[in-house]
Amino acid sequence: MQPNPAIAIVGSGPAGCYLAQTLRRSMPDAEITMFDRLASPFGLVRYGVAPDHQGTKSIQAQFARLFERDNVRFAGNVEVGSKLSLDALRDTHHVVVLATGLARDRALRVPGESLSGVYGAGQFTRTMNTHPHENPTLPLLGDTVAIIGGGNVSLDVVRLLIKSPADFDGSDVNDPAVEAYAESPVREIDLICRSSADAAPFDPSMLAELGRIPGVQFASEGQTLSGANTSSATQSALEGLRSSEPDGPPRVRVRIHFNSTTTRIAGKDRVEGVEIRLPDGSLHVIEARSVITAVGFDFDPSDPLLGEMGANSDTGLLAEGLYRTGWAKRGSRGTIPENRQCAKAVAAEILKYLAATQSSAPKAGYSGLPDATLRHVIDFEGWLRVDAAERAAAPPNRSRKKFADHSWMVATAHENIDGQTTSAAQRRHVKEQS
Amino acid sequence: MKISILFGTESGNSEMAAEDLAASLADTYETEIRDLAEVSPEDLREDALYVFVCSTYGEGELPNSALPFYTALSQTRPDLTGVHYAIFGLGDSFYTETFGHGSLKLDAQLKDLGAHRAGDFGRHDASTWEPVGEVAVAWFEDVLSSLQVNSNAA
Ligand SMILES: Cc1cc2nc3c(=O)[nH]c(=O)nc-3n(C[C@H](O)[C@H](O)[C@H](O)COP(=O)(O)OP(=O)(O)OC[C@H]3O[C@@H](n4cnc5c(N)ncnc54)[C@H](O)[C@@H]3O)c2cc1C
Ligand SMILES: Cc1cc2nc3c(=O)[nH]c(=O)nc-3n(C[C@H](O)[C@H](O)[C@H](O)COP(=O)(O)O)c2cc1C
Repeated sequence: MQPNPAIAIVGSGPAGCYLAQTLRRSMPDAEITMFDRLASPFGLVRYGVAPDHQGTKSIQAQFARLFERDNVRFAGNVEVGSKLSLDALRDTHHVVVLATGLARDRALRVPGESLSGVYGAGQFTRTMNTHPHENPTLPLLGDTVAIIGGGNVSLDVVRLLIKSPADFDGSDVNDPAVEAYAESPVREIDLICRSSADAAPFDPSMLAELGRIPGVQFASEGQTLSGANTSSATQSALEGLRSSEPDGPPRVRVRIHFNSTTTRIAGKDRVEGVEIRLPDGSLHVIEARSVITAVGFDFDPSDPLLGEMGANSDTGLLAEGLYRTGWAKRGSRGTIPENRQCAKAVAAEILKYLAATQSSAPKAGYSGLPDATLRHVIDFEGWLRVDAAERAAAPPNRSRKKFADHSWMVATAHENIDGQTTSAAQRRHVKEQS
Repeated sequence: MKISILFGTESGNSEMAAEDLAASLADTYETEIRDLAEVSPEDLREDALYVFVCSTYGEGELPNSALPFYTALSQTRPDLTGVHYAIFGLGDSFYTETFGHGSLKLDAQLKDLGAHRAGDFGRHDASTWEPVGEVAVAWFEDVLSSLQVNSNAA
């Protein structure tokens, strides 16, 4: 076994965090560093999981342990593949693991997809979560929106669109975006789902949650059942939705179309509708001013790390000493817990490799990285300053206020601990607040 | 008394709570931590206190790793008279109708088979953001003092 190997994990989302956890349990003395391009750790827990699902986001407390107690180093504000080359990382570390997730919305591969007015759910949820690399506000969606996809992310999109600002109590939603959207909210939503109601991967409790939002009318269409099981949890959640009548005229209508395959996005210069095919072969056009696709996430050919590589369900091994885990390995399937199982499997591969490489040359580890990189690193203490500043800036009915400006995050993280040097960026934002 | 902490988890919170609980007890008691995935009902003894720390998934179900243990209990229905346990359920009140139901099911099953529960059913709600380890440790202090009261009364 390599004594005290140096391990670099690229990406601090669930995949990277669970891997560090598993490796730390078997290697109490290894040097483990988790890099992220952002000043903040936790990946999609912070920037994907919906801002009104704070219970799900609370898994951050478990991951924070790694840095607070388990001697794992956080090195934020380091983009591997640009600011720091993968080669430099591999030269200094015995093992490098890519846990960089998949940020690119998967293409539908239907005509009309590049019309203006077509957006991805990743884009949309990053805006609602105030991701510093995303647009700070939503595009103008118009009165009618079609959402394509039958998973939980498409339900997140529906829910975030049908809520009014008052329905976001306790969340850390992007308020400027919500307030701007509230001036011209969507009136009609058509959710287009390829499978039957029973086969749709929706979480029934997330369907039921839609029914707790006031002022919404629901309908569903095209739901020939896949089996005899008509009392599935999804079916009863749908029943609940259909019977939840708003008190007055509805603010917004949601129609769910099951068994409907999207064949084309219609329109000349911008979206005018979505063409769907029903099981009987007939084609229908649903009118829509914009479209949000929620059909998963894909590898990005322009990504310097993984490029056009596809998913691999067997091994995390990419090259000697180079591995991948999480969505970057499996594709965009699965919830947070699945990354824990995945981490255990990849950790086992890594441990086996390290056990077999007794006599390789010592490596400098983190401190062997170029000064130009180390100078800009944001450590966990730095992140805690951002965290504290965000909580302090939260309005009374919000859990935190995020700032869309990554340079604000970086400046706040680098702040002197005694608070003597409030940065110009922070003062500006505090002013905007009041 | 030996304290055996048995966790059932999917996203790792219960394991973390189990570790915190064990750390808080290590100086005073002989303690062990085990994953419920690796425990079978035959392992349960009368001379230990079993502390179940377990979350809820699906529509009020047990986490996958705890299912084999629960299924074995339901199918083999061993007589658990003389077995003592405490139970702490992790959940999320966002799931209004099934909050903590997974561990409640486990609790009901253990009781039904004759095991004796020490203290109250403990709870953690992910939506509160309270540190789960601290909540578990505070709960278990109450469990221990209820044991003390009982043994003094006897
Ligand atoms: C909108 C949305 C909502 C979701 N909601 C839920 C939910 O409610 N419950 C649930 O269980 N699961 C949910 N999921 C799924 C869950 O988020 C994923 O299973 C999980 O985040 C995948 O983990 P990961 O670490 O592979 O990727 P990510 O979480 O994406 O983490 C990747 C990290 O790598 C960093 N990174 C990327 N490239 C580089 C680079 N070149 N250099 C340095 N750092 C880099 C990124 O900044 C990021 O921090 C949701 C997913 C989405 C998209
Ligand atoms: C898909 C899913 C379903 C869940 N279902 C329930 C539920 O029905 N009732 C509940 O109280 N909590 C539910 N939870 C919340 C978890 O029990 C809670 O997050 C817990 O802290 C997880 O602990 P663990 O990390 O040990 O698995 C669910 C969580 C997820 C991700």
